[in-house]
Amino acid sequence: MKKTILSLLILSGLSISAQEKKTGLLYGSFESNSQWYLNDKINDREIKHPEDPFRSNNYLQLNYNYSKWTAGVQLESYAPNALLNYNPKYDETNLGIYFLNYKADKIDVTAGHFYEQFGSGLILRTWEDRALGINNALRGGRIKYNPTDYLSLTGLYGRQRTGFDVANSDIFGFNTELNISSILKLEVSDLALGLSYVGRDEKTSINKPKFESLTNAFSGRVNFSHNSFYVSTEYAYKSEDAMIVNNKIDNNFIKPGNALLINFGYSQKNLGIDATLRRMVNMSFYSEREPDLYIENGGSTSYNFNDKIVNYLPALTKQHHFNLANIYVYQVQKIDIPDPAIAKIGEIGGQFDVFYNFEKGTDIGGKYGTKVTVNVANWYNLDGDYNYFPPSYDVKILASGKKYFSDYNIEITKKINDKLQGNFIYVNQYVNQKYLQGGSLVKTNIVAADATYKLNKTQSIRLQGEHMWADADKKNWAGATLEYYVNQKLSFYVWDMYNYGNDKVGEGKVHYYNLGGSYRKGASRVALNYGRQRGGLVCVGGVCRFVPESKGVSISLSTSF
Amino acid sequence: MKFYSLFFLLFINSVVAQSKLPNLSISKLNNEKINLNETYNETDKIYVFSFWATWCAPCIEELNALNEVYDAWKKELSLEIIAVSTDDSRTQKRVKPLLNGKGWSFDVLLDTNQDLKRALGIINIPYTIVVKNGEIVHIQNGFTPGAEDELHTKLLEL
Repeated sequence: MKKTILSLLILSGLSISAQEKKTGLLYGSFESNSQWYLNDKINDREIKHPEDPFRSNNYLQLNYNYSKWTAGVQLESYAPNALLNYNPKYDETNLGIYFLNYKADKIDVTAGHFYEQFGSGLILRTWEDRALGINNALRGGRIKYNPTDYLSLTGLYGRQRTGFDVANSDIFGFNTELNISSILKLEVSDLALGLSYVGRDEKTSINKPKFESLTNAFSGRVNFSHNSFYVSTEYAYKSEDAMIVNNKIDNNFIKPGNALLINFGYSQKNLGIDATLRRMVNMSFYSEREPDLYIENGGSTSYNFNDKIVNYLPALTKQHHFNLANIYVYQVQKIDIPDPAIAKIGEIGGQFDVFYNFEKGTDIGGKYGTKVTVNVANWYNLDGDYNYFPPSYDVKILASGKKYFSDYNIEITKKINDKLQGNFIYVNQYVNQKYLQGGSLVKTNIVAADATYKLNKTQSIRLQGEHMWADADKKNWAGATLEYYVNQKLSFYVWDMYNYGNDKVGEGKVHYYNLGGSYRKGASRVALNYGRQRGGLVCVGGVCRFVPESKGVSISLSTSF
Repeated sequence: MKFYSLFFLLFINSVVAQSKLPNLSISKLNNEKINLNETYNETDKIYVFSFWATWCAPCIEELNALNEVYDAWKKELSLEIIAVSTDDSRTQKRVKPLLNGKGWSFDVLLDTNQDLKRALGIINIPYTIVVKNGEIVHIQNGFTPGAEDELHTKLLEL
């Protein structure tokens, strides 16, 4: 039945598209990621493919616009199964998203699913990230009203999407943004204010709860810039709510949460300096307090799949583009007290960036200019007094406890001549795995270089070499990548990450090799890959998903229309 | 399997289809909200929207390449290049210093929660669309060294 409806929808869609000028506009996108998993043997370890070796994630988004009205659907198919380690709630083929939107000059109304973010997302962000399996859209209604060009108001109500269903709670939200510089007609300065509220009402089955079913979260923001200088700050407060201990509500452990984010910098032609500082206490915020448990899935919980998250707490570190620099990545720690020595209630830290462009014609700039980027990030557990029996805590205002993670890096990009361009990076990391996901303390030094050489007008090759010295865990790695661009449409690559230093019992030296190619035309792309995937965290925007070690052939298709 | 063949049919059918610039509001770097259709509507002017992110190496490569030829292109064409940052709040604060640190002279739009990216059905970045008179007249998906020359040839044909 579903398939018939789908066929009709697509066919009618195509005919609409053919006569769009009279009847409106049909547009959308399609993405498909499939993998055929293979059995593998790494030294003495056998890695069996899952029972269903072919797995596929597919997304078809269709929108139809007529005048001020837009209607949209997103069909999703995880058949016969979703790719390994996706949220088990993504099952089979179903309608994931549907909405109807009316947009006029000053008003924008949506019924159905919608994505929204207030401020930087400290109290609300709903979004889609297919690589991570996140789609926490709200299903309900939203009204955006802009009475003038300096004031915007948003009111919303909804239930949060989880798998193909919605969470069992009600989310209310209100947001206002006021652009003061527009009112005062400031020329060289910008001043904007923002104020948000999010309420989550989840009934509890707990007898005599010592907390309210409605949890309130507020956030206030100020953005200011004057000439080349800018500063912005955001403070968020979450009202008292039950803490979750061992995946269960603890009715005797009731605490509020808060977060402070400060960003400032200086920026002029060829120079940018930026600093971001953040302190957070107990800011985990889910549409359902207690996680779903997946016993059959190795005891994982819906927390592991980033399911039902209301807010966005990204790791504020540099997102590297070299393979080896992405082995040890930081993510904001979930609230957890596994034992009194490792109490994770909050974090404190900061990140500094300097961007500089040595202009062409200067000593360091040379003929084509040289670009230098320095980034320093340090993150600590928040210091305080923690108790295990009965659970309680009292955090200090500005004291950093155990260091979680640091990343110091410098990157230099230089065009050497018309044909050759190079990129070099040095990274130093401190990764306290004992506090993060378990394991030992690892200190790394990484160097990586990348050169692109233009063979002629359309063809070029890219060669990349990397090395990581790590003093613990899987120890040293070496890596190399070769990419060949046949023309603007077709390219091939081969890369290997060789964990030659691994002396762990039962593991040993391992090659993680991959080869493949991609073809692009207009808005479409097809990519084919064969190789061995390193097990670990796949992270996008500081939010991560764990993927197991696997070998296989994968094919990706994407297009928009 | 029928489901996949339908997807495939759609994929083949859609390769040639193109659409319009969506009617969306989006923030500039100074927090000012603008409407896309009202802002980029000069008759016969070519608008090149390049979707990028601070963490995307080929995107930065593309914008570096476009920046080098921008002045020359502007002399021969009525043209504006707009860099649309798809950075979310993890990396968005790095946009402004990076822009100047790289010495780029483009206007930047902040697509913080990826509303515009989603409306255009963009899956991967870098992704560049060329808009003339409200219509998307060319799409360049991905970036390889030298792709700016091909884009230039295309722009001259419009």
